[in-house]
Amino acid sequence: MSFWVILAYILLAVSGVVLLYLTYRTDDRRFIYLAVGIFVTFPVLVTLDLPFKVSPEARQLFDAVEALPDSSTVLLTFDYYASALPETEPMSIAALHHLFRKDCKIVTMTTIPLGGPSISERVTRSVAEEYGKEYGVDYVNLGFKANYVAVLKGMGTAIDVIYPTDNSGTPLSEIPITQNVNSYADFDFIYVVADNNIVDYWMSIVNAQYDIRVGCGVTAVMAPRFYAYIGSGQMTGLLGGMKGAAEYEKLVDKKGTATKGMGAQSLVHLLIIGSVIAGNIIYLTGRRGRDKNKPNGSAA
Amino acid sequence: MNLIEFIQVWIIAFLTLSLLSFLYKDNPFYKLAEHIFAGLSAGYYVGLIWHSVILQQMIDPMFDNGKWYLFIPGILGVLMFSRFTKNYSWISRLSLAFVMGNTAGIFLISELHGKVLPQIQATMRSIDPGQGWGEFLLSLIIVVGVVTTLIYFYFSKEHKGVLGGVARVGIWFIMVSFGAHFGYTVMARISLLIGRVQFLIDDWGGSIIQLFS
Repeated sequence: MSFWVILAYILLAVSGVVLLYLTYRTDDRRFIYLAVGIFVTFPVLVTLDLPFKVSPEARQLFDAVEALPDSSTVLLTFDYYASALPETEPMSIAALHHLFRKDCKIVTMTTIPLGGPSISERVTRSVAEEYGKEYGVDYVNLGFKANYVAVLKGMGTAIDVIYPTDNSGTPLSEIPITQNVNSYADFDFIYVVADNNIVDYWMSIVNAQYDIRVGCGVTAVMAPRFYAYIGSGQMTGLLGGMKGAAEYEKLVDKKGTATKGMGAQSLVHLLIIGSVIAGNIIYLTGRRGRDKNKPNGSAA
Repeated sequence: MNLIEFIQVWIIAFLTLSLLSFLYKDNPFYKLAEHIFAGLSAGYYVGLIWHSVILQQMIDPMFDNGKWYLFIPGILGVLMFSRFTKNYSWISRLSLAFVMGNTAGIFLISELHGKVLPQIQATMRSIDPGQGWGEFLLSLIIVVGVVTTLIYFYFSKEHKGVLGGVARVGIWFIMVSFGAHFGYTVMARISLLIGRVQFLIDDWGGSIIQLFS
């Protein structure tokens, strides 16, 4: 790292301290917003590569995919809205790189109406082009169907009843990859990328009732809830938020937007930790001052 | 970047900045972006439900494949509109009863089989020191955490004495859980901001450079 970059980051730290002080003096929270904005923008402009470790849960998911025989059939879901793209899209892209490298046959689907079908179409096609994969032979996009509980239950019996056609209206019987895929039993692995509680249904309906391994990538807000599934051995690997996506990018050796965002993530976390500590010090010193001014024996 | 992509990027950038402007204070740009989002979402949903549910799952199978029995769920759906009338709103309960019965039937099995039993089983861990200190400590934390947290939510006896002490330990476990959730939530929200900033710098910034080059 050059001298000027180090100097720039020192100035960034100073600006953070100044903005926190201004927040304290003026009681205007907009200085905090400004500090967060600067701390996010700066590392995106001046790349900051901080080291991070791969969690055992991300490693477990990677190993599970890695252990699949070549040409396995995998169901990859795009169960997320456009609002969660920064966290979930890098997971999908990294998963596609991993699966296409292993020459897996990929069936994609979504239970999200707003943006789900177009996101899965765009992301899958762009990664497939890199590997020279052909639509219908190497991958297929089933698209969206309403009422996800009915969809998840129904696919256990007959996929073509739930999805008679793919996303563009071609009957599944005319698509080579889906001719031998009738139900969950024909998938070797299910890779769920989601931003909502559908993960619960993938576990309680599909994993528990059809006994197929499910690995998940979820937004950071949801991640803590799903560690219980890892602990019980029901879930095969878990990616949590942008950090999880960056871990998977590292594992598949394909740096993407998640890895690039980790510098900003770490810096803002430092800012928040600093502001929490400063806020507590100000609160405690202020309380001590108030206690001193209080007359003896007065009620709190 | 072609002309269509260029216009798309500028619209997205304008709406992104309009929404972020709320952090300074409420303003017409924020309201415009908010209303566009609400209107587009509502319109998109109506079109999507018409196409993917009413057409694809009811009308087309009925007329093309002769699945006339699909008129039953169709009628149940129409009955829901009776809620808009004062005298006949009770009819909608027929549809609701079907939905509730159906949902309870599906979820009773899946919740029990997929969540409750495996989670109870995962909690029943051996706390034998002979299994190695690391594993022993982990098992002990899980068992103590689950038991004390459950006792905290036991309200039939006042939390005093031993029960109060155990419940207090439960609070500590709950607080650790809240802390983990809060940390992850901060990470999630910052990730969304990072995504927007990456878009503004890489895509929108790229289009500005293209404009002047």
